[in-house]
Amino acid sequence: MPIIVNLDVMMAKRKMSLNELSEKVDLTLSNLSILKTGKAKAIRFTTLDAICKVLDCQPGDILEYVGDDKK
Amino acid sequence: MSKTNNFVFWGLYIVAWLIFVGLSIDAGGLLVNFFFSLYKPEFIQNLYQKLDLTEMYKDSRLAFFGIYSFILAISILKACLFYIVIRLMHKMDLSKPFNTFVARQISQISYYTLSIGMLSYIARQLAEDLMCRGFVTNNLNQFWADSQAFILMGAVIYVIATIFKKGVDIQNENELTI
Repeated sequence: MPIIVNLDVMMAKRKMSLNELSEKVDLTLSNLSILKTGKAKAIRFTTLDAICKVLDCQPGDILEYVGDDKK
Repeated sequence: MSKTNNFVFWGLYIVAWLIFVGLSIDAGGLLVNFFFSLYKPEFIQNLYQKLDLTEMYKDSRLAFFGIYSFILAISILKACLFYIVIRLMHKMDLSKPFNTFVARQISQISYYTLSIGMLSYIARQLAEDLMCRGFVTNNLNQFWADSQAFILMGAVIYVIATIFKKGVDIQNENELTI
């Protein structure tokens, strides 16, 4: 899929662990892991809102579009 | 799941097993008949179903092998069909039935049913054609009497399988929505 999830990059920038993020955004570890590894098929606006609030970033910092020709 | 549903399910499971055993014996008996008609035709009268096609074998080997291939293929496919039904009923978890395994098994059931129907239909046409050429094929009608029913059932199961597959896809997508 051409949408890349850069959640791990943002977490590293904020020096936040997956456990801490999962507690703060009220998501299970397995769901966050699915999101982080790029296995998720869709993300709810509420989830995106919570993650952006906790990581203090924009949706564009977490999601990135990479076309097939750029891969 | 209610107790009645559970009871009906297990009842159907036992019936499916019985039919599978019957069809396997049927297919095995026909296979044995086939080899005996090739190598020891005089022994056929003592065998299962007494399917004696030695006259046809003497007249035309092509017709004999053609008809026997259809009979064997149809009976083996019927046994395989019930094997898949048994496997599906054995492994299916009724509290969580929507998964890729069940979708694939239902698709397979539809393919087998359609194949049986198509083969039966072609075999019946072949038998009628052979009858016009002077061969005696009246005793073979029992093998392909229900071809149209199989085609109809296969088509219905195919539609159900397609809907089921789509349902499983939607469920997977839902589960992967964070």
